[in-house]
Amino acid sequence: MLARMRCLLLLVVCALAVNACTPVRAWERGQLARTEMAWDADGLESALNDHIFFSKEASSGGNSAAGGGCGCN
Amino acid sequence: MATVLTLRHSLQSTIAILAISIGSSALAAEAGEQAPNFTLPSIHAEQPAIALEGLRGKTVYVDFWASWCAPCLKSLPLYNAMYHKYKDQGFEIVAINVDNPVEDGLDFLLDTPLDFLIPSDPDGVTAELFEVIGMPTSYLIAPDGTVKMVHMGFRDGDMELIEEEVIKLLADN
Amino acid sequence: MRPVQPMRSRSLLALSTTALALPGIAGADAPPLQNTLSYKISNYKEDDLSRSEVLFGDLDRYDIDVHQFKLITPVGRNYALQVDANYESLSGASPWFTTQGFDGKPVVNLSGASGIRDRRSEISVGGSYYLENGRIGGNIGYSEEDDYRASYVGINGERHFNNDLTTLAIGLSYSDDAIFPTDAPLFNRVVSADKSSSSVFVSVSQIIDSVSTMQSALSITEQSGFLNDPYKLRDIRPGDKTQIAWSNSYRHFFLNADAALHLNYRYYHDDFGVSSHTFDMAWHQNLGDIFRLVPTLRYYSQSAADFFTNQDNFLAPLTSFQSSDYRLSAFGAVSGGLGLIADRGDWTATLTAERYLANEQYSAYEVKQPSTALVQYNRVSLGIEYSF
Repeated sequence: MLARMRCLLLLVVCALAVNACTPVRAWERGQLARTEMAWDADGLESALNDHIFFSKEASSGGNSAAGGGCGCN
Repeated sequence: MATVLTLRHSLQSTIAILAISIGSSALAAEAGEQAPNFTLPSIHAEQPAIALEGLRGKTVYVDFWASWCAPCLKSLPLYNAMYHKYKDQGFEIVAINVDNPVEDGLDFLLDTPLDFLIPSDPDGVTAELFEVIGMPTSYLIAPDGTVKMVHMGFRDGDMELIEEEVIKLLADN
Repeated sequence: MRPVQPMRSRSLLALSTTALALPGIAGADAPPLQNTLSYKISNYKEDDLSRSEVLFGDLDRYDIDVHQFKLITPVGRNYALQVDANYESLSGASPWFTTQGFDGKPVVNLSGASGIRDRRSEISVGGSYYLENGRIGGNIGYSEEDDYRASYVGINGERHFNNDLTTLAIGLSYSDDAIFPTDAPLFNRVVSADKSSSSVFVSVSQIIDSVSTMQSALSITEQSGFLNDPYKLRDIRPGDKTQIAWSNSYRHFFLNADAALHLNYRYYHDDFGVSSHTFDMAWHQNLGDIFRLVPTLRYYSQSAADFFTNQDNFLAPLTSFQSSDYRLSAFGAVSGGLGLIADRGDWTATLTAERYLANEQYSAYEVKQPSTALVQYNRVSLGIEYSF
């Protein structure tokens, strides 16, 4: 009984997941094209922040542009 | 009982979505096929509606554009120049604007007036008919209504390629 | 007796040499149509410490001016070129060692009473080739300071799927650094040392609906070589370090508010024993056609490295790992900022200000040994961008 419930739940989640990602047509992407919707609207600002946080904290990386070298503070 | 019904509904809609995405529409506008007919209002409210079938006998360049699409905006003034160059040879440009709200498209036209036909398709009904998968996409249509060329995107040097095809098609007819 | 203050560069206060992230022309479906020239000038100033925290020497910490330049230009039909150049000049002081103060609590001793002065220059060049459904790019860079040189190279690629609804990106990078501390013989420091770093990242971006997108990225970096801070009186770290970072981002546009919400979360862990959580958010509020106001908020918390101690132990053998570098201690940091962007025609101007406060009391992780040298700083930036 429990196994059957789990199986059903998985099926529902998968079905809902497919439904949830509504395919956005090419002509419907106007809002996504806005500058404020970009991953990195101000490249220099995020580079500066990454540089500062990397110098003042122990963590780095996770960005799409990981790598390169600087002996920086 | 209720969970079983919702599950069945979810499954049915999932299967339906999969079927639609896998299957191809018979109305797809590909080179060699007949272009789908459409009738759309003009973006300028005071101008008459535009129907593709009404342009039968002319060489028509249909282009889908929006004010938020940078390559579209780059191409339109170039298309305007091309229109003036060949309109006396039976050449028409139909630049379908898909902006929603329509005001965004009209705002662009205030700064950049264009002299060819500009229908408005804010709900993307005609874009769907033509199965537009990228912005911009343009279709060069022969006087008999067949699609001769489909062009996606607009990059540096594309204008020369497009104009070449237009000249060739005008010469054939 | 006042300790002699050495001339030093801030370069080695870095914990690792993973880079100044070079912003790629990422996420674009097609090459740029115009040239874009950007410039940003920033000032970063740390709060002074108080006399109760510092036994000897200066109370001033760092004051840094940063200049950033970027040029992006399309080349032919399918290519784009990007050039980045940065220049920084710094003055101030930095923690040299910690000792026991008069009340038994650890105190920090700063270096640089004569004033540390340092300059850093960096240049990098990158190119991208745009295909029908993706992009391939590469970049190469070099940076130089009085006591530090780094060269790096990277390649990356991305591929769109599902009618561009899904994008998969991967990248590899490698950097090779050389350290030659100033006044090495005078202070019995290592004369020169090397360090290298290799990194790989993978990311997936997905358009959720007409107003929402999300992205998840994983990066793994391996460093080896001389990882100690040679300017600290006692700082001994392992000769290699492996770190992993997992970032997640979400963007949502609110039509009624005419504003976009940015949410980011990153989890980090390395084999020095440091783990961290970073949450940050930004609200991009459009004000008419030209202006945009962007308040931002960030919360960061890290655990201490296994070998962190807030009081240097000079009697421990040189084979045991030890560091009192505040950046390896357990602490939390809260920062808030405000940006104003003006976008008109071919020009964009940006003004941003940020205040950052690190404090062991903000830590989400257990703090066994709080560092007394945690920073607080202000940052102000003015940026300008021109498309032509």
